[in-house]
Amino acid sequence: MWKEYSSNYIKNNRSSSLTVMIAAFISALLLSLLCGLFYNAWKYEVERIELEEGSWHSRIIGELSAEDMETIKNFANVEDAVVNEKGQKETEPTVDIYFSDKKAVFSDMPHIAEQLGIPQERIVYNYELLAMYLIRDASDTAPRLLFPLFILITAAASFSLIIIIHNSFAVSMNQRIHQFGIFSSIGATPKQIRACLLQEAAALCAGPVITGDLLGIAGSAGLINLSNSVLGSDVPGRHAAVFGYHPLVLVLTLLVTILTIWISAWLPARRLSRLTPLEAIKNTGEFQLKRRKNSRLLSLLFGIEGELAGNALKAQRKALRTASLSLLFSFLAFALMQCFFSLSQISTRETYFERYQDVWDIMITVKDTDADSFEETASIQALDGIKSAIVYQKASAKRIIAEEEMSEDMKSFGGFAQAPANYVSQVEGGWLVNVPIVIMDDQSFSAYCEQLGIAPRLDGAVVLNQIRDVTNPDFRHPVFMPYIKTPDADENAVSVLRQSGDHKETPSGHTSVPSGDHKETPSGHTSISSGDNKETPPGHTSMSSGDNKEIPSGNHKETTAEVPVLSYTQEVPVLREEYATLDYYELVHFIPVSLWKEIKGQIGGMEEDSYICVRGRDDVTLEELNTIQDKIAQLVEGKYTIEQENRIQEYETNNRQIQGMTAIFGSFCILLAVIGIGNVFSNTFGFVRQRKREFARYMSVGLTPKELKKMFCTEALVIAGRPVLISLPIVVAAIGFMLKASYMEAGVFLAEAPYVPIFLFMLAILACVALAYYLAWRNVRKISLAEVLRDDTMI
Amino acid sequence: MEILSARKLKKYYGEGDSLVKALDGVDLSVEQGEFVAVVGSSGSGKSTLLHMLGGLDVPTSGSVRAAGHELSKLSENELAVFRRRKIGFVFQDYNLLPLLNVYENIVLPTQLDGRKPDRAFVEELLKRLGLADKQEALPGCLSGGQQQRVAIARALAAKPAILLADEPTGNLDTRTSQEVLGLLKAANEYDSQTIVMITHNPEIAQLAGRIIRIEDGKIYNNPNQRRENMQVKV
Repeated sequence: MWKEYSSNYIKNNRSSSLTVMIAAFISALLLSLLCGLFYNAWKYEVERIELEEGSWHSRIIGELSAEDMETIKNFANVEDAVVNEKGQKETEPTVDIYFSDKKAVFSDMPHIAEQLGIPQERIVYNYELLAMYLIRDASDTAPRLLFPLFILITAAASFSLIIIIHNSFAVSMNQRIHQFGIFSSIGATPKQIRACLLQEAAALCAGPVITGDLLGIAGSAGLINLSNSVLGSDVPGRHAAVFGYHPLVLVLTLLVTILTIWISAWLPARRLSRLTPLEAIKNTGEFQLKRRKNSRLLSLLFGIEGELAGNALKAQRKALRTASLSLLFSFLAFALMQCFFSLSQISTRETYFERYQDVWDIMITVKDTDADSFEETASIQALDGIKSAIVYQKASAKRIIAEEEMSEDMKSFGGFAQAPANYVSQVEGGWLVNVPIVIMDDQSFSAYCEQLGIAPRLDGAVVLNQIRDVTNPDFRHPVFMPYIKTPDADENAVSVLRQSGDHKETPSGHTSVPSGDHKETPSGHTSISSGDNKETPPGHTSMSSGDNKEIPSGNHKETTAEVPVLSYTQEVPVLREEYATLDYYELVHFIPVSLWKEIKGQIGGMEEDSYICVRGRDDVTLEELNTIQDKIAQLVEGKYTIEQENRIQEYETNNRQIQGMTAIFGSFCILLAVIGIGNVFSNTFGFVRQRKREFARYMSVGLTPKELKKMFCTEALVIAGRPVLISLPIVVAAIGFMLKASYMEAGVFLAEAPYVPIFLFMLAILACVALAYYLAWRNVRKISLAEVLRDDTMI
Repeated sequence: MEILSARKLKKYYGEGDSLVKALDGVDLSVEQGEFVAVVGSSGSGKSTLLHMLGGLDVPTSGSVRAAGHELSKLSENELAVFRRRKIGFVFQDYNLLPLLNVYENIVLPTQLDGRKPDRAFVEELLKRLGLADKQEALPGCLSGGQQQRVAIARALAAKPAILLADEPTGNLDTRTSQEVLGLLKAANEYDSQTIVMITHNPEIAQLAGRIIRIEDGKIYNNPNQRRENMQVKV
């Protein structure tokens, strides 16, 4: 009997059945998508760990005999034990052990160690990998929250979907309270009623669940491919994600989906089955208000129709909860995302692409190569289409700045008083600061000298004499001032560089300095070195081995190199480098590679790689840059390992990545909005049943169809407009915060703010809600006033 | 002066074998200030007649003229405006709006008409109906009798030309029924309110100045015959 009743009901109530089916489909699609993505994220992480760390579960450090190996393999849970010659830190051999039952690893390994007679300290666990299987041990204190996070998000998503979709079931079921009251009065048990409703839910949802799950799998495959092509295509050395799907995940997805839908259907079914027959028979399915509160604003704006719409919306608050939440969150997330990406795009463009627009077109990293040993500099510089090509390497050193060396500007903001101890340390005679050295090829250095208006020389350094006003945290608009006093033109300045090693802390916390001579330079600059500071006339190369001294410093010897300063400048060479970004107190030195050859033995501290900063002609195109890249690759082929970056390519990739991210996050926002819109549709589809009496009563006392339409429009406007009104102040506050944090001027952001996409999203929500109300309006127009008013029992 | 009339009014449902003639050529005339009771058995067509007279339903053929308006010539919007200005309905199931409180229910037709409610008149009405302390209450919190009194107040508040009551006591106990009928009677006597009341109860019909019997969609007694004496006490 129930079967016939249910099938008849489904056939005769297509709109409410459709609502339930849409809700089931969307929840299945979302959950399947989520499970598919999480499985692949988990799989990717496992693959990454196995690639980086290895797939072993535990390992014993040191060599073991064949007999010991056999003992290990004899353990029931051990699948295999393999000798790894470069196991620990690629130097120490290990025995890598693989378990068939991974859970046994923490209980079996101590027994294995005991049997082999080796100390526990020699046992290492692959905690990161084991954590991916939710196998944890108290000895591993790292949080490793990735997998638990996946589970938590899936549970949260299921819970949210239950809240969201149970409403669709509730609307459909509530429409029939009266009928079930009649069933109940003639003897149907609550269990039978519940079973009938759940049976209906199962019949309606089976198809959508399977379709949604399959589409979710396809969607997750699509997103994985998209993330590969959009997000990771230009990341060198990135392990590409390959889509995979385990049958167990399908089973799990189906279980989660069915459970979510079942709970969503069971909640209203239980509530319905608990009503007494009388309560059920009396129930007309109409919206009721427990307390009245006037909708003054709506009344003011839209007159009596606004007041009526406000009442109706209050009465439907529960039924529209899903719509309210979904639309609010989707709009809020969409607006925030759009603003964030716009701001990020402006910021990247301003601080990166625009700032470095004219300083590089191609950046080449020459792996494991020193600038002084790179032989292709001239060949590259001679290539067609190249305006300049600077070969450079970076090194780090230190030097002391004495009180009297500091510029007046620097002193005005407190000198080194605010300098962090990890960058600057007070030593005898001054402050020890970091000195980044940029070693440029000779030709480029000479060109740089010419650019500065000084005679090109290859025996000295150009010092970047600027320091940021550290009291002004605005990184976007930094204020620079002279760092140290510039000597008079007739004075010869030198900079004494020292190794950038660890300096022993004195008990007072000051860095101990070597007991070298403390000598004032003619310019008043203090240079500390163990040797004599030679005064070098301009144009005279002073560097010699005699200038480099070894200074005993505690247990180690420290050497210094005295470098003539050719110029103090605030003009940097055209390189894609940023200076003093973290350590505002560093004193950058630009030196030619010839000089570096002389002093590198004393200073050291160079980075492993060298770089080539290439500039093409003005208005160079991507094709031209690609051609130059090919030519450079041909030149260095077989001799050096290089990585190339292309400014135009990078700009396009950056834009593509932002577009990709926007598309992915935007899709989630749209999906969220679809749930809300679905709820609005399910609600308005139920209008004919739930609100026909309300409308008939209004019309019986003289509400014209035009006024009813106005009431509908007001309701639609409130439903679509409320998320916008609530979101706007939050978005404005968030933007304010983001602008403040990024020191971006509001005008700059407002000129490029994403008004159009946000407005279109808002418009799309409004259009969908309006469509739902328009369809409802068409249905409501069909009702017969006389019939509805006459009969309140045939609901 | 004739305020309400129906000419050859027909309302048919279905077709062929399942054709139902709810009204089959009804002629009717009601004078201003008259209290007319329409009686008939269940399914006789009395409610259908009332809905036609109030412009809630459209006849298959024939015409209704009420308060100077030919209803068939009115558009949907005009019909709604006509209802709120000229007709007051009292239904068996009260048909109050559950989302509005007593006062708002009563003044709704006036507000819909864009007029400011006559607060003093409404309060006087509420006092007469014994609802002075229930102005803020929602209909769901009231008894059946109270709800019907609110419905009467709503019908009278807009000072309609015609009050149409469809089994106004159908859901009420005897005592409350007497109260409600007394209110209708008083409105007719003291305010010369034209009332057309539907009932299946001949005793209640005795309260009216004229009784019209309807059966199978046809009026069986002389529609113009008036009763001279009213003997039912309320």
